[in-house]
Amino acid sequence: MHPTPLMPTEWIWSDSSETLTLHELSLCCGLTDADLNELMDYSALAPLAPVAPLVSDATVCAFSSEWIAPLRVASRLRVDFDLEVFAIAIVLGHLNRIETLEREVLSLKARLRPAQQSQSVGLE
Amino acid sequence: MHYKDYYAALGIPKNADLDQIKKAYRQLAHAYHPDVSKAPDAEARFKDAAQAYATLKDPVKRAAYDQLEPLAPNTEFTPPPQWQEDHSDTWHSFEYMDLDELMAAMGKGGKGAHGPHSPMPINGRDYENTVHISLEDARRGTALTIEVAATEGQRTLQVAIPPGVREGQRVRLRGQGGHGRHGGGNGDLYLRIALKTHPVFRPDRHDLYFDLFLSPWEAALGAEVQVPTLDGAVLLTVPSGTPAGRTLRLRGRGLAKDHSDLFALVHIANPPTLNSQERKLYQELASTSAFNPRSFPLETPHAPHTPHAH
Repeated sequence: MHPTPLMPTEWIWSDSSETLTLHELSLCCGLTDADLNELMDYSALAPLAPVAPLVSDATVCAFSSEWIAPLRVASRLRVDFDLEVFAIAIVLGHLNRIETLEREVLSLKARLRPAQQSQSVGLE
Repeated sequence: MHYKDYYAALGIPKNADLDQIKKAYRQLAHAYHPDVSKAPDAEARFKDAAQAYATLKDPVKRAAYDQLEPLAPNTEFTPPPQWQEDHSDTWHSFEYMDLDELMAAMGKGGKGAHGPHSPMPINGRDYENTVHISLEDARRGTALTIEVAATEGQRTLQVAIPPGVREGQRVRLRGQGGHGRHGGGNGDLYLRIALKTHPVFRPDRHDLYFDLFLSPWEAALGAEVQVPTLDGAVLLTVPSGTPAGRTLRLRGRGLAKDHSDLFALVHIANPPTLNSQERKLYQELASTSAFNPRSFPLETPHAPHTPHAH
């Protein structure tokens, strides 16, 4: 079977350079608009700072596409464990914290010699 | 398609109420979730339980399921004639559908039922995959051929990785997931970049680090040393008096050419053994130099503390 070539233009980076509306985010992560609004109520999901401060409608808020990955994990856990949105809000906070800590560990490991890494307690 | 006994999958009687269904599912989910359980059949058992729960927790789906004639597990199962008639165009693909999706497609899923002749659009599934690439490929960009396990069979995709990617970066390839049915959109393919371990360089986001070992005289006098980069060896000027622990930067030599650097972490290595000439030179240096690397104050030991009499 010949592989289907994908053009680079079809790439959408899931990082801070890309933004999504609330509805686009809901389509990506499998949660409803209402679920995402509830997560915002719990301060578990935050939009980017609005360009026009007078706009308060959540449907026109922009979100970093960095939210896609943790929200997809949270959405899967919600289905798998039959969790309520409030539980997802707690999970989301922990997922983001784990992501931050993992980045810091990688950053510190890059600055340590391998011999030092193996001597460090708890890093391996 | 094969008949599945959803009640048996959850280990509950046919007259179980919603609380019993939920409790049984949660017990199984806790025991067999792939993120938690190491059992070899965990994923399959969890999938069975999840499929059963998705149907039995929904009164409409459960009623539709209960109308089916009970069969022995895994018996070849043919949906009722009306179902075949309604979906003659997709009948050949029924073996790839699960019972829950089938009922949703028949408009028996509760939400969004469109009637028997207007089946509900089903969006294709999203796929997630991790691609492992070398640091060299991350800097230069590469083309990867990846296999995706799709519902309709194995799919092979060629994906262009642009230059300058880093560990953990994620990308969405719109419409490259599972095919939608009945007008539903195709799913997306989510890729996560994982960088392979390199024998020399360690990545930190787009920057790279490596260990640069210098002899004591190179560190003291300064030197031009050849160091590796992802594009080949280059000459690095080590300033005189470079201490251990200092970081020397090679601009633009990280994973992204325009905004990342390569950092050399300086270590000072002593010769494992000294010949007589080297020993003599070191002894000469020791007697000549006034340098003391230990700057912490050294106090004379105190006499034992004697309490004052009051």
